[in-house]
Amino acid sequence: MKDNQKFNTYQTPSWCPGCGNFGIWYALKSAYTELGFDNNDVCMVFGIGCSGNLSNFIKVYGFHSIHGRTLPVASGIKLANHKLNVVATSGDGDGLGIGLGHFIHTCRRNIDITYIIHDNRVYGLTTGQTSPTSPQGFQSKSTPFGVIEQPINPLALAIIQGATFVARGYSGEIDHLTSLIIQAIKHKGFAVIDVLQPCVTFNPNFSYPFYNPRVFKLEDAGHNPEDFNNALKYALDVNNDKIPIGIFYKISKPTYEESSEELRDKPLSEYDISDISISELIEEIRES
Amino acid sequence: MNKLFSRGSDALAMAAIDSGLKFYAGYPITPQNDIPEFLSRELPKVGGTFVQAESEVASINMLLGASSCGFRVMTSSSSPGISLMQEGISYLAGSELPAVIVNVSRWGPGLGGIGASQGDYHQATKGGGHGDYFIPVFAPYSVQEMYDLTVKAFDVADKYRTPALILADVMISLMRETLIRRYPEGIKPPEKSWAFGERKGERQKIIKSLYLKGNELEVHNWKLHKKFEEMKKNEILFDKYLCDDADIIIVAFGMVARVARSTIELARENGLKLGLFRPISLVPYPEEELFSLTKTCKNFFVIEMNTGQMLYDVMRILGRNVNIRFYGKPSSYVPTPDDLFNKAKELFNI
Repeated sequence: MKDNQKFNTYQTPSWCPGCGNFGIWYALKSAYTELGFDNNDVCMVFGIGCSGNLSNFIKVYGFHSIHGRTLPVASGIKLANHKLNVVATSGDGDGLGIGLGHFIHTCRRNIDITYIIHDNRVYGLTTGQTSPTSPQGFQSKSTPFGVIEQPINPLALAIIQGATFVARGYSGEIDHLTSLIIQAIKHKGFAVIDVLQPCVTFNPNFSYPFYNPRVFKLEDAGHNPEDFNNALKYALDVNNDKIPIGIFYKISKPTYEESSEELRDKPLSEYDISDISISELIEEIRES
Repeated sequence: MNKLFSRGSDALAMAAIDSGLKFYAGYPITPQNDIPEFLSRELPKVGGTFVQAESEVASINMLLGASSCGFRVMTSSSSPGISLMQEGISYLAGSELPAVIVNVSRWGPGLGGIGASQGDYHQATKGGGHGDYFIPVFAPYSVQEMYDLTVKAFDVADKYRTPALILADVMISLMRETLIRRYPEGIKPPEKSWAFGERKGERQKIIKSLYLKGNELEVHNWKLHKKFEEMKKNEILFDKYLCDDADIIIVAFGMVARVARSTIELARENGLKLGLFRPISLVPYPEEELFSLTKTCKNFFVIEMNTGQMLYDVMRILGRNVNIRFYGKPSSYVPTPDDLFNKAKELFNI
């Protein structure tokens, strides 16, 4: 047991017993502890869904935001004060449904944010409808005759669209997930971790007995995360009976903050605006 | 005709099917999931299409498309989802496309909560989207009205080529009571010559809400307004209960009106003559009908599950020569008949 008590709140998580969110909760607290963070070193942004309830259970700065809009809110926080470590989390439902446009744009912007997707392939909080990552044929309360659409592939999208750190974790492998979160936070740029997060109540077919025998670690398979083509090959290989977890893709590119002239030296929050004079500008206009 | 013991949400969904609904798009949100879940099972059985879209934004825009093909279309959501749909509702109104939109409203602003609320009155009745338009709004207060007003909403939507809104609430949507399934006449929607179709040799049709030339936008806006004036003449719905001899008339809609009926019985047992005026169509509002009550009564008690929204309409309609008191309950807990009776005594110094 790691001493991650300082990130606990007085509330006990209200998730169902066995929920994959417990693994993510524990891994986040452990990662913050191992990184030596204080409670006010991290700002977390939460979406709406069971994952969003995490806001009550982890003691850091927290913004419980809008369904699907965690990444724009997180981007606003990072651009206003990029000294903060910003970690956004949301479910597959909000992040890859209405939030998918924001997801792709945040990838191409390469802002230094860590984004964790609680991917249970179902809508849990609304008690069991199909989600953007539900497989074809999936029968749910809103798809009694089976899902027609093809599921979203968040990892392939992230790799193609410019995210510089793309990984998959599993709630059943907490130490591994902790290590992924630490590396994602340390990484400079947009880091995505899609976490296989069993919903034992509303999607029991994709629970621990399904994932445990299937997951394998990419690092054990000798995968080089800088190899774009191989990363994409692993990300696209969704029909294989073996499910890779670990870092798919990781490269170094300038972040948005580093590329922006105003943000390069110091965060916006540190700019002093009390003695700004516009007389020079007025003179310039007068002369022209 | 068919007598059932039904939940409000199921009554609404049945009414939509009985009205000839052919296309539904929606997105999960508490507390209205029972409507899409019912339709996901039942709509395909009558040759309709059910889609769970990626968002409320997608849902309302799918309605724009399906409605322009001439089908009866519907979506349902709850408050935050209805906020997301406002752009589409404005475009539906501007493009004169019929559609039925159901708001099983919850608490706001923002994420709010999932309990019973009437916080969306302003958004529903004053046009939550941009532009100069009104859409008809109906507020059911029983399971039977969830059915009847849905049938009405489809008819009004087609008749005036306008989106129509059902402003429901959690209490009415999730409770069960007797329902008479009426199977309305006119399941075949009226012929829509403006809709896209496969009629050969037709001239080009463009559905739009963009008017740039000369004064055509002004003409268009006055056309929309004229439809609203026609609705005022023909589509007003209201209910009066023991108003004739009332010393105080409660003005309330939806679930609050339902509680108020019990309050009135309680008050009358205790010698206080209360009455109830209940607007059923919130747009168009039964203004003349409410105002006419000032002939016999000078005390009006507005009760809402918000901090005072319909209150502004009542004050505008009744003016300053009557005594208006307000009780607002902006929380998830529906007030009891006793609460309202005690408030009436307190606010009117009885």
